[in-house]
Amino acid sequence: MGRLFIKLTIIISVIILLFMPVNKFVKDSYDYNIDHEILAFKKHPYPVDIINLGASHSMYGYYFKPTGLSHLDLALPSQTIQYDFKLLKEYGKYLKPGGVVLVSISQITFANSEAKNIGNYYKVLDRTEIDPFNLIDYYSYLYLPGINSGSFHSALAGKLKNLKWNSHQPWANTGKNYAGRKYMKIEGQYREAVENNNMEINVKQLREIVDYCNEKGYRVILTMEPVHQSYLEFFNEEVMNRLVFQYLKALKLDVPFINYMSDQRFVDNKDYFIDPDHLNREGRKMFSWIVYEDLKKMGYL
Amino acid sequence: MTFISIEFLLFFAIIVFTYYLIPHRLRWILLLVASYVFYAILSIQFIPLLLTSTAFTYFTGIIIEKQETKKQKKKVMLVGISVLLFFLGWFKYFNFVNDSLRAMAKYIDWNYTIPYQEIVLPLAISFYTFQAVSYLVDIYYGKQKAERHYGYFSVFFAFFPQLVAGPIERAKKLLPQLKGEHSLNYENLNYGMKRIAWGFFKKTLIADRLAPIVSSVYDSPNPTGSQIVLATILFSIQLFADFSACSDIAIGCARMLGINLTENFKQPHFAVSISDFWSRWHITLSTWLRDYIFFPLCKGKKKRSEIYLAIVITFLVSGIWHGAAWTFVLWGFIHGFYRVFGDATKSFRESIASFIHLDRSPVLHKWVKITITFLLVCFSRVFFRSDTVAQAFENAKLFLTISSWSPLGIVKAFEIFPLLDLVIFIFFYIIVQLFQYIERNNVSTWKFLSKHSIFTRFAFYIFLILSVLVFGVSGNGFVYGGF
Repeated sequence: MGRLFIKLTIIISVIILLFMPVNKFVKDSYDYNIDHEILAFKKHPYPVDIINLGASHSMYGYYFKPTGLSHLDLALPSQTIQYDFKLLKEYGKYLKPGGVVLVSISQITFANSEAKNIGNYYKVLDRTEIDPFNLIDYYSYLYLPGINSGSFHSALAGKLKNLKWNSHQPWANTGKNYAGRKYMKIEGQYREAVENNNMEINVKQLREIVDYCNEKGYRVILTMEPVHQSYLEFFNEEVMNRLVFQYLKALKLDVPFINYMSDQRFVDNKDYFIDPDHLNREGRKMFSWIVYEDLKKMGYL
Repeated sequence: MTFISIEFLLFFAIIVFTYYLIPHRLRWILLLVASYVFYAILSIQFIPLLLTSTAFTYFTGIIIEKQETKKQKKKVMLVGISVLLFFLGWFKYFNFVNDSLRAMAKYIDWNYTIPYQEIVLPLAISFYTFQAVSYLVDIYYGKQKAERHYGYFSVFFAFFPQLVAGPIERAKKLLPQLKGEHSLNYENLNYGMKRIAWGFFKKTLIADRLAPIVSSVYDSPNPTGSQIVLATILFSIQLFADFSACSDIAIGCARMLGINLTENFKQPHFAVSISDFWSRWHITLSTWLRDYIFFPLCKGKKKRSEIYLAIVITFLVSGIWHGAAWTFVLWGFIHGFYRVFGDATKSFRESIASFIHLDRSPVLHKWVKITITFLLVCFSRVFFRSDTVAQAFENAKLFLTISSWSPLGIVKAFEIFPLLDLVIFIFFYIIVQLFQYIERNNVSTWKFLSKHSIFTRFAFYIFLILSVLVFGVSGNGFVYGGF
């Protein structure tokens, strides 16, 4: 039996040695550190003028630094509206009196029900806020992200960005392939959300966010970020009405909703986008100025 | 807590450690507690049903044995089997029958009022019911003595490594092993750990990597024919990797406790005929169906047509056992048809092979047979994988369309994979094929490795574990866990 013990010790030791660089590779990756801005803010908080919530459209949508506003970006990829609320409750206290909360509404806002990247919140939220919470997942994500295949895959995909079929490149077929795939995915999510009654839960959550903002004295605005024409071809008015607007309308919220989705300043200009539904650095700067000006006109700033 | 989790590995490590630490007379208690805890974690609401089925089968077995005449024994056995099948039927087939009757009533304009019932399928009910039925039948035939020790019997009924998805064991094989004293054995621990690691490898690097790719096509409202062809072939690979991994882990866990479970697979995708396929795929179910359905149906039958009918009925039972849906019934029927057709045309097919001189090249002949068998199995799996009968026929039509098989279309269909995922999948699939290639030469891969230097062996084990840790995708339950 001693032989088995020695063998196991050798095997485990070599695995640990080989695993260490893999773990470091994942820990250093962009995707694993996607919450770094929120984390930095958590360590050194300061009063902010504006906070934006939402998923990746919002995360790639706003950069208010040139406008002089102090800004906290609480949007993370695939963020559900439940986590929007949890983050707002955690960080809303840093909003200056009368500060603005931009609640980003996108195609997936009401259909998205499962927090896929739950690890993103381990460091930025209190443990009790994480749902579902699993102790083994928690510690392995924090200290051994290399064994999380999702994190490793994202890290690897980040390094091998060009390892994609030509037809899978974001602008292949002028962006229509990308938009089509995204459309299929969101339709699937929507069907599932309707079957599981998640649409109602998410819609109710939006009302709770707005009520919470009103209660705390935050000024809340609903926004929809610009997308490229190729994306609009799939997410046309009829589709958006089915996925989003019919629910939003029924809520009868007493807050402004600024829809930039088909904004003509962006819609035909691919230079403002990374892919058909995410703004790039240029697009982000320009869009944030537009939002800033509009908020000023509305008397919110 | 599924097999594929750190929790299970920790749980099992504690069980193994304790098992060899305590005296033999207390081990059944440990295994019973472990089995019920394992089941309760997965499905606590059905623990009472498991306990009831166990007690019922235990006492029925004793009552059968106590009957004096064969006729009386048969009566008790049939009552016992009926009750067990009633449990299975109620939980698994009530809504299937109810929905079918409702659809039929609508068709003939008949007022049918029984509404759909919210019934949850108890975990592992199909597996433990079949195990219980075989126990009662074996007692009736005198092949098995009724077990008097309630504790050992309960462990046989709910032995956690094979409870959820088999292998379906016979009491004759498992009970004596549970009662036997097993000392800490290096070979058993060593082999068990390797089998578990290999199961993890197949499940996390092949099955669970393929699952979302296959789903993306089968859940798509308008897949192309080539996508259906590719997704069906990939589904066959996924299903084998998934189910055989589950069996590997079950066999490995049991072996570490000193217990030998029956092998459930022998490279089924290399079968040369459908009958050969069923002697290699889910072997414990195939032999169960042979012994408890096919043989009794064939008793006293001599006409070929009667035997063929028995074959078709056996496969229909196999289909309905898998799932309460018409897609599974059709899947079973297709296999029954294959089996009958294969038997009826055997000499004709052989004469054709001889006419085109295929039999002069045995290797080529064998591979042609393997390919045809695999494609036939794949076609049947269109029905296995589709959600509805209408979708199954639509997909089957696409599968059979010649243009779906155009090489260009198939190459294009590979784009259902993200390229990075495809590269990773192909790499690990080659490893599995190398492993199987070694085994096809009648050498256990583990024995083959043992002939190599310690560095080669250790490199392989380290590669295996690191691959699972870093590239392994987990999160899906086992496909057969749902049956």
